[in-house]
Amino acid sequence: MASNVSLRVAKLAVLSESPADEAAFGILIEAVLERPFVRVRANLRARGWPSVLQVLPAVIRHLHFNTDAQGLVVVVDSDDSVVHTEAHDAPDYFHPQCRMCRLRATFRQTVKRLPPARGRERVLRGVGVAVPAVEAWYLCGRDARVTEEAWASGQARGALPYTRGQLKERIYGTDRPSLEYALRRAVAEVERFRRDTRRLEHDFPGFASLAHDLRSWTLG
Amino acid sequence: MIASIAFHNFKALRSASVRLERFNLLIGPNGSGKSSLIEGIMRMGALARLPPSEAVPDGEGGGDRAEVRFRLTPPYAAWEVVMRCATRDHCDALRWIHHAGPENPVEREALRERLRSVRRYEFEQAAMVRGGAGLPDAELAPDGANLAAVIHHRRVAHPDAYERWRRDVLRALPEYDAVSAETDAEGSAVIRLRLVEEAEVITHQDLSHGSLCALAIFCLATDPSPPAVLCIEDLDRGLHPRLLREARDALYRLSHPGNGEARPGHSQIVATTHSPYLLDLFREHPEEVVIAEKHGRASTFRRLCDCPDLAEMMAGVSLGDLWYSGVIGGVPEEPETGGAEVRTAPGGGSGS
Ligand SMILES: [Zn+2]
Repeated sequence: MASNVSLRVAKLAVLSESPADEAAFGILIEAVLERPFVRVRANLRARGWPSVLQVLPAVIRHLHFNTDAQGLVVVVDSDDSVVHTEAHDAPDYFHPQCRMCRLRATFRQTVKRLPPARGRERVLRGVGVAVPAVEAWYLCGRDARVTEEAWASGQARGALPYTRGQLKERIYGTDRPSLEYALRRAVAEVERFRRDTRRLEHDFPGFASLAHDLRSWTLG
Repeated sequence: MIASIAFHNFKALRSASVRLERFNLLIGPNGSGKSSLIEGIMRMGALARLPPSEAVPDGEGGGDRAEVRFRLTPPYAAWEVVMRCATRDHCDALRWIHHAGPENPVEREALRERLRSVRRYEFEQAAMVRGGAGLPDAELAPDGANLAAVIHHRRVAHPDAYERWRRDVLRALPEYDAVSAETDAEGSAVIRLRLVEEAEVITHQDLSHGSLCALAIFCLATDPSPPAVLCIEDLDRGLHPRLLREARDALYRLSHPGNGEARPGHSQIVATTHSPYLLDLFREHPEEVVIAEKHGRASTFRRLCDCPDLAEMMAGVSLGDLWYSGVIGGVPEEPETGGAEVRTAPGGGSGS
């Protein structure tokens, strides 16, 4: 995959809710791209759903006209919303309660309206949804019962396999971690995927979607 | 009053300028120069108390020497006031420059008189319940001390202003149905408030920090002889988000008189905030929002209305969320990173 992209370092921006998650996503993005990247406008931040969705058009616009970012990575937690499935990927389909569908649609509608700027057509899209929360990604490979599939089928049965609080408790030992400790733990867990993200992509299609987006970027 | 200010080597403001409106809301990270801007105004006000000195040299030094230049609004638009500082922290004199023809000393004295009245406030709970040792009854201390005495004095000397204050308080704090300033057995001023549907009357000493702040803001907003420039640090401090609208409206009545209410005098207002909810209230007036940006140790100012694409960016999102997101600036600086480590942009290379 890396062979058909330029050797130039990618410039991309990351929009998420916490500096701890951003640090971990940095490692995952680098693992998927198989090369280092430079993060532009490191001080982007969102106040959780639905604020992410509301600020996304402004963030894309800003990156498009005012920075040389080639792509934008957005990662949100699904919380209790509808989990994205392959069926949602059908042409012209859009599930209004699915955060993946909403973010992709907002991305599409926003870039469509923008004229080319700064030598590029558009800011490339990288969207990931952590089901039900990013701590589930951090537990991937440590507990085979924590998967997107397990959560979605629990949702369908009306019996969730675990709560978001339990996931946090297992990663941080508390559901009130300090930012500094959360950052250390997040980075330590995703280090396991630095050389190989296949397990994470398999267990979490919401991450696989992000990886797919990133690999589709032909930068340079 | 002040049309614009240009700072040179003044504290964190190495080379920064800002145009001011009648109302100005300053946002930005801690240490981004919001307070330095206010400090510049206050020092100018303090130096305006001194008689104009003819001895201030014109334009010498330059270089590292701090200087702050103030341009003024009509009727003083021809004037420029230049504050010269011997060091970054010690400003010693004002130069009064008249840009259109020979200066009129009477006009200059009127301007000096007006500029001397600038005031800065940063309310503290402990202070607001205290008397203002040594202060005249009509003057609120910078930390809010003397509040009850000021209101009581106003009841006697300026009943109209007192009534406006009472109306503002009762509208913003609906848990009370009566408020008055009186004197207690020892002759000290006290503000009494009656709880709705309860016989109980409490005094200002029993109020929460936020309620006291509201009383103090309304006190400033209804001042019968308001300062030329009124600076309030952390305007949102202690106020419930739903009270912010009342606070803004009261201050708007001071900065934009004539909006339905006759009142004597008006002030230019410079307020700082970290509240996205307060910022939300300025969506229709982005020209009133000043964004302070920190670049390393230096700071600059920018008006929200000068952000490119502002109207498009604001579509479908609150101004507070937009600010938080970082796209309009005024957020803490973070290093550019890739992966888990801080990197500088490398010239090439590949991880594969
Ligand atoms: Zn979907």
